[in-house]
Amino acid sequence: MAKVRGAIVVNTEVCKGCEVCLPVCEEKVISMSKEVNRKGYHFAYMSNPDACTGCTNCAIVCPDRAITVYRLKV
Amino acid sequence: MQFHQKVIMSELRLMKGNEALAEATIRAGADAYFGYPITPQSEIIEYLMTERPENRTGMIVLQAESEIAAINMVYGAASTGKRAMTSSSSPGISLKLEGISYLAGAELPAVIVNVSRGGPGLGTIQPSQADYFQSVKGGGHGDYQLYVLAPASVQEMADFVSDAFDIAFKYRAPVLILSDGLIGQMMEKVVLKDHKDRMPDEEIIEKYGDWATTGKKGRERNIVTSLDLQSEKMEARVHRLQKKYEQMEKEDLRYEEIQCDDAEYLFVAYGSSARIAQKAVQLGRAKGIKIGLLRPITLFPFPKQPLFELANQVKGILSVELSAGQMVEDVQLAVNGKVPVEHFGRTGGIIHTPEEILEALEQKIMQDGSK
Repeated sequence: MAKVRGAIVVNTEVCKGCEVCLPVCEEKVISMSKEVNRKGYHFAYMSNPDACTGCTNCAIVCPDRAITVYRLKV
Repeated sequence: MQFHQKVIMSELRLMKGNEALAEATIRAGADAYFGYPITPQSEIIEYLMTERPENRTGMIVLQAESEIAAINMVYGAASTGKRAMTSSSSPGISLKLEGISYLAGAELPAVIVNVSRGGPGLGTIQPSQADYFQSVKGGGHGDYQLYVLAPASVQEMADFVSDAFDIAFKYRAPVLILSDGLIGQMMEKVVLKDHKDRMPDEEIIEKYGDWATTGKKGRERNIVTSLDLQSEKMEARVHRLQKKYEQMEKEDLRYEEIQCDDAEYLFVAYGSSARIAQKAVQLGRAKGIKIGLLRPITLFPFPKQPLFELANQVKGILSVELSAGQMVEDVQLAVNGKVPVEHFGRTGGIIHTPEEILEALEQKIMQDGSK
């Protein structure tokens, strides 16, 4: 079976730091940044990129559609 | 003047609270918005700027140089009988308070939106309901009240805009929509109403009277001011304002009773807290505790009488708000010592969970009641 590697891109200006994506990530890929965006929110980022399976859970739950998921079969 | 107004019927959209309020403002036939960005309400001015309402309805949107400038622009626009709005978040509303008192004093209709955040001071950008005192206990100087609407959903963020303008013009008084960072940032489905046309001067005069500075054409000049150096005249003005507030209480009090019919315990909560308390009601009822929820929709006028009556029926009341305890004082006044009233709430931008609320009821009210 082909393995899938994933990667997420967070639109940091849209992210409001609600952290809804954190508990749905089985692989614990996502953390909240120390920096803030223009509005002052801590945004989500890939703190553990190697573990991402591209499952898209985070993008599905994101209320602001701030997350884009890329998937690659390897 | 002709505008390229698209004929948009009511439609279902997924929107942020702030965006829904902004879109509803255009659709309510507002004439002007003056604002200044501040998290968590910046989406209002961002949305209005992006939508270019000057092309849709002719509505003016302007980013002022400061909050103080914005509220005084509202004063100017309202003086000419136009439907003007401004919005901000807690620290920005503090800056606007002088202008708000002047609006109330000069008896001008305007809508002010507060998408509140944690304080005091610059505080935090996370949600909070700590502006209750500021909203209903004056805030600015002098004997005045604001009619305060507290939306608890994205739908109400949209619906309350045209209600607020109607009330503001009915009473010639400023109306405050008190939301918070939770409702403002939350995304939900919302049914947007049809467009209303902006009102021409003639229609405003016909509907609300000839008080605005619309240009003196063969009539006595209209003067809009909050200054009366003659004490008797000033007292008459204060009495006139108080009469309006009494009328608001009689005619435009709004509240919602949720599962109160058989309730033995009661939550009182507004806005975002009411949404969370509603879940706590369900959790409690699943455990066999008969809980009801009274949700004040208007914070001024406050639903004193309904609370007084419910106090005959319930064993205890928990006031739930994202503050250190503000609305609880009005609940206690309304209940007048009939049953125990306690407060529960998180502060600093932390949002309470339904489980926490239920636990607070069990600890603060139910245990005390069984003593």
